[in-house]
Amino acid sequence: MTAPARPVKVAIRDLSVSYAARGERLLALDRISLDVPAGEFCCLVGPSGCGKSSLLRVLAGLVSQDSGEAEVRAGSPGHPPTAMVFQDHALLPWRTVLDNVAFGPENRGVPRAEREAHAREMLALVGLTRFAQAYPHQLSGGMKQRVGIARALANDPEVLLMDEPLAALDAQTRTLIQEELLRIWTDLGKTVLYVTHSIEEALLLGDRVVLLTSRPGRVKRIFPVGLGRPRGLEARASPAFGALTETIWGELREEVLRATAAERPEPRP
Amino acid sequence: MSAAGAWRERAGNAALALALPVTLLAAWEALGAAGALRPAFFPRPSALAGHAAALLADGSLAAHSRATLGRLAWAFALAAIPGVTVGLAMGLSRRAREGLDPLFALIYPIPSVLFLPLLSFVLRAEGAALVVTAAITSFFLVVYTTMTGVQQIDRTVLEAAVHYGARGRRLFLSVLLPGALPHVFTGLRLGLGYTLIVVVAVEIAGAQRGLGALLWLSWEILKVDDMYVALAAIAVLGGVLMWALGALRARAIPWAREAGDAGGRSAGRGAA
Repeated sequence: MTAPARPVKVAIRDLSVSYAARGERLLALDRISLDVPAGEFCCLVGPSGCGKSSLLRVLAGLVSQDSGEAEVRAGSPGHPPTAMVFQDHALLPWRTVLDNVAFGPENRGVPRAEREAHAREMLALVGLTRFAQAYPHQLSGGMKQRVGIARALANDPEVLLMDEPLAALDAQTRTLIQEELLRIWTDLGKTVLYVTHSIEEALLLGDRVVLLTSRPGRVKRIFPVGLGRPRGLEARASPAFGALTETIWGELREEVLRATAAERPEPRP
Repeated sequence: MSAAGAWRERAGNAALALALPVTLLAAWEALGAAGALRPAFFPRPSALAGHAAALLADGSLAAHSRATLGRLAWAFALAAIPGVTVGLAMGLSRRAREGLDPLFALIYPIPSVLFLPLLSFVLRAEGAALVVTAAITSFFLVVYTTMTGVQQIDRTVLEAAVHYGARGRRLFLSVLLPGALPHVFTGLRLGLGYTLIVVVAVEIAGAQRGLGALLWLSWEILKVDDMYVALAAIAVLGGVLMWALGALRARAIPWAREAGDAGGRSAGRGAA
């Protein structure tokens, strides 16, 4: 890594997570350690079922670990440690877009005028100002996920957790939202942990790509992405991009084959 | 679908909905006029309309309707309020669900009219037994649909709400209750229809006033025109109440569309 060293925002030490599946305990993560510096865009890649989602869910407080630590170091008081963008957006269907975005602050007791003003700013950031009063079912998949991103940003977390947020979208929409996401990340300087199954996406977005092994997940290798930003079409066509893709795929492939050989069902901790 | 296309389809459906009863009435009228139907049993719709107007004018139809409506209101409230409460409890708490379900499973299939004699012994207040009898089955319908409503709430939505800080009362009010509401309304709709059915049935058995009583008493003395008017009044009453409940649903849960209602569904499509 290049100097100056930024303070560590997410510190994961010997973290093990298991979950119950058909009466037995399956180990999803096996003594994982990882430090994410403040402001980094960190991408997690690994075969299906390697526990990359489990890692986010522990940080989000949705499941608890068997052992080890997953700490989000607070910068300023009053911020929630994490805010998650879910793969299937998970918006509340009975709330308008604005009320969905303001949901986190509302639960923390932020006065209405203040939280709505903030929510409108976040909606402007994702280009959905006009849809503040719409209900989620009136939006397209890409727009729903933009609302999911705005909801997470409105919570003003220390760390943004993104669990394959664009996996369900078509390629064009995905590309557009990736660009928006990078713009927002550049503006706000948030620390991001981003789970994806796409190496290309990881290389377009990430400062580093963390490759996990097949289950139980361990850190197999960490790839610094030395590509400049912004990474447009030229970056994608560059030799460095291609070489990195090949290297990562070479290692990921082994894990995917191992995971397929194990023939276990997809975990859902 | 374009807005004009959607409007045309709805207009077409409305025309069909109107044409069906009108055609039936016209056929009835024509058969009566041709002498194919015995007027003693099947008076013509035009004659019945006149009779209905007379019953309206002398206030007797209104009195009977009021009696039925009063029982219906009490019975529906008695089914809906405890029904939603118990249903929510059973949806939220495994203990409530497993504790109550066996008892409910025993009582629910009993035709509720059969409770009338027993309840008449226990509840001596004027009309109370009728009202409670009419509430029983609806209560269970509301309980079970409400319970299902809570149980079918999307797990990831619930998880997201917890992640964004909703707990306890806030979680209930912002997620569990609204998430269950579409099912609750389905239960209320079923319950309202069922309550009306049983109210009229018990009026036949045990009341001097009410549309069911009017229908039955007039049948016993072969005043068939009174009987038909009572029948029509019951139909209109049920139709109006169902429509009102539907309108209430549309206002209460604008985010949940009726199945098959395509209007506006894709307002944001293509703008991603």
